[in-house]
Amino acid sequence: MVNMVGTPLDVLPYVRGIQMVLSGYEGYTKGKRRDADLAIREEIKRCGTRARNHLMNVHDSCFREKKIDVSKAAKACCNTIDQLIEDIDKSPTGMTHAFFSGQRSASVSVLKKLIKHDHDVIEMMTKAVNISNSVEHAFSSDKTVGEIKSLIRQCEQMITSSRGYYSARSTVLDGLRQKKKV
Amino acid sequence: MTANFKWRSNPNIIARLVDGNDIQTWKARQVVLKPNEACAFIIDGRIGDIVSEKVVHNIGGGLGRHIADMIGATATDRRMLFAMTGPVDLWIPFAADLSDGSNASGHMNLRVQLRKEDIPKLLNIFANHAPLLDREGLIGFLGHEVTTRCIVPAMAKCSSVEELRSSEFQEHLEMHAEVEMRQSLSTLGFTFLRAFISTSKTDQEKLARLKADLDFATQTEGANADALMERIAIREAATLRRIECEVNVERAKKRGEVTIQAETELLGLRKQEAVWDAELKRDQGKADLRMKESSHKTDEAMRLFEQVQARKRDRIQQSQDHQDQRMEKQNDVQVKMMEMAAEQGALTPEVMQEFLRQQTAQKAIDGTDSKTPTPPMSTTCQQCQATLMSDWKTCPHCGTTR
Repeated sequence: MVNMVGTPLDVLPYVRGIQMVLSGYEGYTKGKRRDADLAIREEIKRCGTRARNHLMNVHDSCFREKKIDVSKAAKACCNTIDQLIEDIDKSPTGMTHAFFSGQRSASVSVLKKLIKHDHDVIEMMTKAVNISNSVEHAFSSDKTVGEIKSLIRQCEQMITSSRGYYSARSTVLDGLRQKKKV
Repeated sequence: MTANFKWRSNPNIIARLVDGNDIQTWKARQVVLKPNEACAFIIDGRIGDIVSEKVVHNIGGGLGRHIADMIGATATDRRMLFAMTGPVDLWIPFAADLSDGSNASGHMNLRVQLRKEDIPKLLNIFANHAPLLDREGLIGFLGHEVTTRCIVPAMAKCSSVEELRSSEFQEHLEMHAEVEMRQSLSTLGFTFLRAFISTSKTDQEKLARLKADLDFATQTEGANADALMERIAIREAATLRRIECEVNVERAKKRGEVTIQAETELLGLRKQEAVWDAELKRDQGKADLRMKESSHKTDEAMRLFEQVQARKRDRIQQSQDHQDQRMEKQNDVQVKMMEMAAEQGALTPEVMQEFLRQQTAQKAIDGTDSKTPTPPMSTTCQQCQATLMSDWKTCPHCGTTR
């Protein structure tokens, strides 16, 4: 197993970016890898839950106001978020002896890639949360149904992208090297 | 070896509040939390860590904690709230009336999930109930509210059984349930995921089903009969075809045998024909030879006949000439006699009359003598139509005997 004692300089901007939302995050340094992985997952779930809460508010209000189309769109987006959270809940975390896999050790390059990947996923999730916030704001500011639905679909698209991106992270953690950059 | 503590012995158990004092032992005990399990620690009335995917060591305390308890160096109240974080399906029975008066019964499926950070909210349940929450208990908590808030209003708007089965109704019910039940579920720590109803058959549907079954049975019987008839027809056609083929084979065999026999006979006949041709040629050759010989004889006979006829004509001509000469001599004599009689004066009518009478008699005699012999009557041959003399016994042209 290759030890990454400190944080490599080339991924330092990404680590700093993650630290903006996760104060205790220091990258996958030795002795904190599992905690870092758990923190990243919790942060992604937290972002999903935040977006879900915004959308559920819109869903409930639209249902009561008989705007069924918006409610359906919000519900579909919430289902996607639920799937993302379930993916994160049931994703692999690695083994005790080999950090991320029982079969092979993660190299420094893989860990660096993982840090960048985490940063990108959190960035996408943050965007999704912002969009969901915009949805609720648009609903409260009497925007048209079409505009609200468009925003909800943007949010759903962002969540779906995050989900796909996260599955690529799981692939890295499973010890399978990617041939193509996602 | 450390003993494992199992907080869940039944799949229906959703959550359990464990008092640390109840599992306190001298020996160390650990609990393994799987990815769909989580545990919230409540120490001295405060909510502590919520852990998952982890082996929690010394959950029962062990010797160290026992000693610490004795000297008062550890928490006085220690509770662990275990819960399943995976989706849970709750089947809530219901019976409600539709707007058309018909009754519908069945179950409503409510799929909820406990998120890890919401586990402490389960204390709202355990505050007033037993420290074990299973599906039945949760249905008991939620069933009445779900029926009252979601099912009955939704059913009351449903005008028929067909609408009850529609996807629009299910969607509406799900959204309705989500809106109405969010607050209650959130209070208990659950997240609403999905909802749908599964209604039992109504009387009308049973009747329709019976009709459909009967129709289906009838159609099945008809289809079986059709298939049987078709099978019989196919078998019949196959049998007829087989018989036809066998007949054709037999016919072909017989035809072949007949052909072979006919060819054999034909070969014999051709042989015979060749023999007959050879014999015919031979006979024709012989006949030609005979014809040539006969023709030669005929020509010879005709030539002789012509000679005879010529000689005969010559002889008749000579006889005619001789008679003419004699007649002329007699006429001369008679003229001289008449002249002498006239000179002598003896030429009387009686003498003339006698003279004419004798002359007539003489001419009659000459005529009889000079009469030309008539040739024999001729006939024709019946075979070759050649002219034949009456006294010929064989046709000189074709050799046919008369």
